[in-house]
Amino acid sequence: MVAKFFHDSYKKRDSPELYIDAALGQLNLDENAPQATGGDQDIALTVAVHGGKGTVRQGVVRHLVVRFELPDGIHIYGPPVPDGMIATTVTIAGPEGFMVMPPELPATEKLTLPGVAELNVWHGTVDLIYPFYATGELASECRPLDVPSIDINILVRYQACTDQECLLPKTENLTLSLNLDVIDMPAIDIHTGHGQREGNYDGTAALKRLLARKIKQHPLGVPIFLAKTLWLQIGALLRKLSR
Amino acid sequence: MVVERDHHGFDAPAPLGHPGRAGLPKGHSTGPEIGQRLPDFTLPNANGTPVDYHNDRAGRKSVVVFYRSAVW
Repeated sequence: MVAKFFHDSYKKRDSPELYIDAALGQLNLDENAPQATGGDQDIALTVAVHGGKGTVRQGVVRHLVVRFELPDGIHIYGPPVPDGMIATTVTIAGPEGFMVMPPELPATEKLTLPGVAELNVWHGTVDLIYPFYATGELASECRPLDVPSIDINILVRYQACTDQECLLPKTENLTLSLNLDVIDMPAIDIHTGHGQREGNYDGTAALKRLLARKIKQHPLGVPIFLAKTLWLQIGALLRKLSR
Repeated sequence: MVVERDHHGFDAPAPLGHPGRAGLPKGHSTGPEIGQRLPDFTLPNANGTPVDYHNDRAGRKSVVVFYRSAVW
């Protein structure tokens, strides 16, 4: 097995391009997907969306790729770094319902310099991958889109160094405009988009089945179930009030 | 009823802590790890013909998907 994708929620699934990448063992950015560039004459910095031609779709995990192309002899730092040095950080901000997952970062190499603690560095072409997806409130499969596209702000901070000296830290503020994916779904009341339930539906039949099952399991199944439910609801209410 | 949002950003009528909303326990196995060989298995294809996963691929790569629906 060369790659493994696992989600502990059925409401998320990977964009198929990510499987192709894993099979090929390389990340091929789509030139037609939204990209923004930064950097300077020495260091090329590109942020791009990978998967689905850069569109945002409910529950489908695309990749936001932050790519550094560093010339020979130059490196940047991964965390942790000693005081006074700047680790590479990426902060992504989008509208409500734009969810960013933990990043997939390449392994750093150890660099030991005289008088300095061991450093974690990247060099060459470095792809920092930030998986993201949209929840139903941003890009629903079962109601018209509120907006055709969204803007994502990406703040990249890094410091490039050679083995002898460091350049000044840089902060780059880049913006990507991403189209929301329009999807034709059957107009079935209960289908509200991959389990991301929205709106109202009549759950009476399901409730009847639930109660029958509880009674079948235990003579006091219904009061036990109601007590547990009440307990969880009180907990939820207390958490809501404490926020 | 209080609708709570989980760390995935999803809302559901069941409150957090309900078994139906629980994720996998930390450290729970999710099957073979990267670098391991998948177990031998044979399953019928769309035509009902048994397919031996390892022998019938002739060394080609494959994607194995376990999912409750397959809508992309």
